[in-house]
Amino acid sequence: MPDKSLASGDVRNNTFTLNCLINGKAISTEVPAARRLLNVLREDIELSGTKRACEMGRCGACMVLMDGHPVNACLTMAYQCTGTEITTIEGLSEVGLHPVQQAFLEEGGFQCGYCTPGMVISVVGLLGENPQPSQAEVEEALSGNICRCTGYGGIMRAVNKAIEREG
Amino acid sequence: MILNKESSGSRWRTRPDGLDKVSGKLQYLTDMTVDGMLVGRVLRSHHTHARILSIRTWKALEIPGVHAVLTHEDVPGLNGFGIAHPHQPVFCSDRVRYTGDAIAAIAADNDEIAEYALSLIEVDYELLPLLDDPEEAMKMDAILLHAEGNVLHHTKYRKGEPEVVFKDCCHIAEETYWTPRQMHTYMETEGGLFIPEDNGRLTVYSATQHGLMDRIQLSRILDIPQEDIRVISSPIGGSFGGKDELNVQPYGALLALRTRRPVRLHNSRAESVRAGLKRHPMKITMRTGCDDEGKIIAHQVRIISDTGAYATLGAEVLNFATEHVMGPYRIDHVEVEGFAVYTNNGVSGEFRGFGGNQAIFALEGQIDRLAEQLQIDPWELRRRNLREYGDLGPLGQEIAQTDGAFQVWEALSNSKLMDADDSRLISKDQHMRNNEPWIVTGTGAAIAMHGAGLGYGIPDPAGGRLKLAIDGKIEAIFGYEEFGQGLIATMEQMLMEQYGFGADDIRIIIGDTDVVPDSGSSTASRATSMMWMALKRLHPEFTATLLEAAASLSNIGIEGLRIGPGGIWKLDEEVLVSYSELARGLTEPIVCETKFNYPTTPHPRVGAHFLYTYSAIAVRVEVNLLTGRVRITDQFHVVAAGPVANPQGYLGQIEGGSSMAVGFTLSEDAVMSEGNYLTKNLDTYLVPTIIDMNGKIEVQAIEDLPDHDTYGPRGIGEIGSVHLAPAVASAVFHAVGKRVSRLPIEPESLQETPFIPHKAVKIHAG
Repeated sequence: MPDKSLASGDVRNNTFTLNCLINGKAISTEVPAARRLLNVLREDIELSGTKRACEMGRCGACMVLMDGHPVNACLTMAYQCTGTEITTIEGLSEVGLHPVQQAFLEEGGFQCGYCTPGMVISVVGLLGENPQPSQAEVEEALSGNICRCTGYGGIMRAVNKAIEREG
Repeated sequence: MILNKESSGSRWRTRPDGLDKVSGKLQYLTDMTVDGMLVGRVLRSHHTHARILSIRTWKALEIPGVHAVLTHEDVPGLNGFGIAHPHQPVFCSDRVRYTGDAIAAIAADNDEIAEYALSLIEVDYELLPLLDDPEEAMKMDAILLHAEGNVLHHTKYRKGEPEVVFKDCCHIAEETYWTPRQMHTYMETEGGLFIPEDNGRLTVYSATQHGLMDRIQLSRILDIPQEDIRVISSPIGGSFGGKDELNVQPYGALLALRTRRPVRLHNSRAESVRAGLKRHPMKITMRTGCDDEGKIIAHQVRIISDTGAYATLGAEVLNFATEHVMGPYRIDHVEVEGFAVYTNNGVSGEFRGFGGNQAIFALEGQIDRLAEQLQIDPWELRRRNLREYGDLGPLGQEIAQTDGAFQVWEALSNSKLMDADDSRLISKDQHMRNNEPWIVTGTGAAIAMHGAGLGYGIPDPAGGRLKLAIDGKIEAIFGYEEFGQGLIATMEQMLMEQYGFGADDIRIIIGDTDVVPDSGSSTASRATSMMWMALKRLHPEFTATLLEAAASLSNIGIEGLRIGPGGIWKLDEEVLVSYSELARGLTEPIVCETKFNYPTTPHPRVGAHFLYTYSAIAVRVEVNLLTGRVRITDQFHVVAAGPVANPQGYLGQIEGGSSMAVGFTLSEDAVMSEGNYLTKNLDTYLVPTIIDMNGKIEVQAIEDLPDHDTYGPRGIGEIGSVHLAPAVASAVFHAVGKRVSRLPIEPESLQETPFIPHKAVKIHAG
């Protein structure tokens, strides 16, 4: 039996009403419970900043913040989002660029840019929990985000700049 | 100059496409949606090699929500594509040659319906023998994969009499080298949106490195005039050569025209692995001999390249490898023979470095092996054989002369990494005294001379257009594509520095076949050179026309005017006429256009290059003897490529190329077994992460060119990726005394049995 307090909707079709906050906005949408957050974001509410790449949690292109913690949107089911607060790359810069985005911009921490939203989200998530991470902590926090273009040099310089500014 | 943000000063600029990228606002072509859009899916072969007996689609067509199911019978024009040789079927009709072969395509209301419908298409096959080894495929009795035979291309180059001279050699190195089936792993998989327009035209939003080439190919397939197709092809989430061939475009286009509805396709990663191109795996056998002074006098090479089921650029890649197995060395007696061979493996194609990576790995390995026999420093042996200013190119062809080879050799010799020469002599015993005796270190180096442009005998047009638009923007209109390499940023910087415009004055228009002139492809490290040359050619006419227009508006002679940010300036004083005022004062827009060809050698040898970039690299590695894992702690790249057009882009290309080479060297192999990929996604295909790239990378740019040189900046898109592997192999040898001949380096080949205390063994034995 689905938990009625969490899920309502057409149980026969295995759909439910997802209620959550996305970038500060209350969302209520009817989706299959096992629909992935990645598809909800990109297709149902047309936030294409969250990128589709490996779809198995290995590349980090689809990272979003769930209650402040980075998660892979491709591994997160819609039902798991009930009552949470999701922040996507679009949500970070609603009132001007986030300092992490600014650092990526200045240091050239991107090339094709396809991994950048996920990369930025991981850095924001890390600095939210630990504003002065060590190099090893940065590496660990970003080890789930693959960038094929930059060789990570520009990304590391951007992260260091963001840390410097936070301090 | 050590290239970094500090040394670049104000030339380190924010990329014009940066804001949208860091904020997630940039819409890639796979992000686009329109109302009423259908999704497209492709059915691919169930077998690696089989005859198709029948295809039944009616069950799929009956599913509500399915709008079209297409097969080979629905291709109005040529049922084939391929830049060089258009023989890869859009849809297979009678035979499949690899598991990525397409048989049918579906347009449906959503992914779930499309997926279900795909499962209802029935194909009857008769299995054919599998050919997954190029050498088996070359045998006389092998089943033919293509009517013309299983050898796609054969190269042969010879000078002197190597077999005779080998008899005089004091030392001979003989080795066979294997390189992996590397995957481009662009983060954005193939895809796009295909829209049939009301006026009967088709708009294709899909990634490519040459929109005009896609348009030609789609026109042939769809049997409609090129003018009826508009290809919009930027921005792209990475390509590295992997999206130069058509991939989803034929299916999207056919489905859109059939359904008269917009159709979106976006490959899953698994589909991308299955159907997409890879770097050619090569087996390169070399025999190289020198005299007692270390002068290399004879060099024999045999290359076997696995091109997979279809040609794409397999022949051209083999030509490139054939040229680059001789490298920047003077060798009098050479014989090279290469074969690009069809198999039932995944299709190999163009990939950053274009066959140079494989060739240079083998060649530089040979130099190291000879140095060991001679008991001299491998770097010194390179100097003794290096080509000199005035020497011909590897294939005996005339080339644009620079002193790049010696410049990079010397700069690397003076580097800290190489200077710590004593560190190169540290024995393993000394490392044993460290706290972690199972970690040993070594230093290694390699050198490369890498051709740019498509080479002799292949059409390589270039050109572009500058325009003062009606709204006062200076438009730079070029037929190139932005796939992350920073082309737009480089173009903007050139326009500012060569012409004096401000960034806000400029509008760059690329990636739209309806408006761009043919500038050739964005491949082969050619675009920066071609933009620079085009802007140089356009400069006199465009600036003179702007100044004349301003002069006639202001009644000041053109000698009192100059181009500046915001408009035409009265020499050093102030803006006299803004560009928008200038545009408003015109009766006709100011437009200048240029057309030319990429410079080529006059020697008629197909594929031979004229412009080269030189680079040397030193690396320091740590080898963990317990795990066999190699970690690169330091990289020093010296690149001689002429003036640095865009420091941030240059550094990014070298750092990024190097990271791709780290994968090629240490972890990346799209493993196939019996024609099927065992590595299907990024859980088993291991691309370097930030932890793998946590060593130090320094890049030194050598900018001088001879006074008479007119070619400007050389390409740097590939040079960072071509010589890291042999440098690492050399460093590994220095660390552990084992020679690497197969990539990626197999950890088990470097593992050593852990140290076991004797006492414990004795007690146990007792």
